[in-house]
Amino acid sequence: MKQELIKLIDLSRCTACRGCQVACKQWNELPASETHNFGSYQNPPDLEWNTWTLIRFQEYVDAQGRLQWLFRKDGCMHCTDAGCVKVCPTQALFHTEFGTVALNTDKCIGCKLCIFACPFNVPRFDEETKKISKCDLCQSRLQAGQPPACVLSCPTGALQIGAKDAMLAAAHRRVRELGGDASVYGEQFVEGTHVVYVLPEKAEVFEKLPAKPEIPTSIMVWKDILKPAGLLAAGTVVAGAFLHYITHGPKNPEEEINQEGGTQI
Amino acid sequence: MNKVMIKATGPFERIVHWCLAISCLILCASGMVMMYHSLQGFGTLVGGMAAVKTIHNYSGVFFAVSLFLALLVWWKEAGMFSSPEDWQWFKVAGGYLWKVDQMPEIGKYNPGQKLFFLTIVIFGTGMVVSGFFMWFPLGYEPGLIRFMYVLHALGFVIIFAFFWVHLYLVTLGAPGSASAMFTGWVSKGWARTQHPKWLREMEEKGTLVVYGKKGQSGRHC
Ligand code: SF4
Ligand code: SF4
Ligand code: SF4
Repeated sequence: MKQELIKLIDLSRCTACRGCQVACKQWNELPASETHNFGSYQNPPDLEWNTWTLIRFQEYVDAQGRLQWLFRKDGCMHCTDAGCVKVCPTQALFHTEFGTVALNTDKCIGCKLCIFACPFNVPRFDEETKKISKCDLCQSRLQAGQPPACVLSCPTGALQIGAKDAMLAAAHRRVRELGGDASVYGEQFVEGTHVVYVLPEKAEVFEKLPAKPEIPTSIMVWKDILKPAGLLAAGTVVAGAFLHYITHGPKNPEEEINQEGGTQI
Repeated sequence: MNKVMIKATGPFERIVHWCLAISCLILCASGMVMMYHSLQGFGTLVGGMAAVKTIHNYSGVFFAVSLFLALLVWWKEAGMFSSPEDWQWFKVAGGYLWKVDQMPEIGKYNPGQKLFFLTIVIFGTGMVVSGFFMWFPLGYEPGLIRFMYVLHALGFVIIFAFFWVHLYLVTLGAPGSASAMFTGWVSKGWARTQHPKWLREMEEKGTLVVYGKKGQSGRHC
């Protein structure tokens, strides 16, 4: 691994201008979708195959009865222990030299397994290409030594990219500054994400943000237990059959020889 | 030295058997290529992993139809255990593991075969259902779909292991068995050793068909 990078999202500095959302579409050549007003500035309503990052708008009344407007830039968290990478049968999803999770679209067979293995509900299916799409943390830009498009576009400094240690230190510094219920979100889950939030409120407060994200147990049972068990069970049977053959031998029929008009086939 | 050959299976039975077997093998092979990354190289043989997935899905449909036909063909004979001889058979492990002096009288299908059949029916159905949800997973509860993944993997573990038991027994383990599913004829000696009750019942009812015997059809049919 070259150098582990972290994209730091300081939500206390986000003004929901959605520059990142537009910059992402522009850099990655993702078309806009036609949507309708559903009573929120949040638009489109959710992540889509062509919307890899989205500012979520949320009205929240805190314990003191104060109304707050919370913004959260949603998107792939670039997990170290990534559920999507774990299940992908073709290795279309893979870890890059930066520790982020990119996607080789050519390899994707559209099996949709990654959708259900992701603790953050990120991968989306494109009905037209029959493939998955998601944020790759601007892999091509990182390789060229450039910041991701969303980071570059952010006017308030809510988005930063940098070496893992530096970003985590900055995150903790900022949380100490903010005080109260502010916290760092990401480093403690799935062996550390490569997108880390500074949350101004408790994680539980934010909509669609899992308080304790982890790869679903069923996915672990499948990949860590049943997958090896398949080979183990078959291997045991084959070994057992061999042992049976050399110790006990086959069950041979006592043949009847032709007295009834039968012929050999 | 000619063995006396008797008729064990009809053509429809054998066709259903092989439809089920072939679809099952294709499913196991293509499924494993998708499950175990080290086998991915085999994917290129059929034109890439997308083709493997397509083959897997449509073989699944073929398997579902075959499984349904298999149910029609064998449910009566192999779907139910009969007392008390089947339980006695289990007690002596079918005579396969240690020397047994008095084997229980076994009909056309021994309890091991019945167990195999039921396993294929139960887990095969599980594979068809879970496979369907895996093919079209969008719009359902994520928890449901993840459960289907587990069921599908579990079904594979069981069916794949049983497949090797089946393969061993019909080849090396119990010689003379395999022809029942190829030509449809087995030797009378084999029937007396493996399925004495079935043979006796056919003799009593007069339904026993002996190959080449006068007045009876001697053709492979
Ligand atoms: S957030 Fe989801 S899609 Fe992104 S790396 Fe983690 S598991 Fe994969
Ligand atoms: S849909 Fe594509 S990226 Fe997702 S697990 Fe399947 S092959 Fe991998
Ligand atoms: S890192 Fe790149 S791909 Fe990901 S949200 Fe930002 S602009 Fe989009």
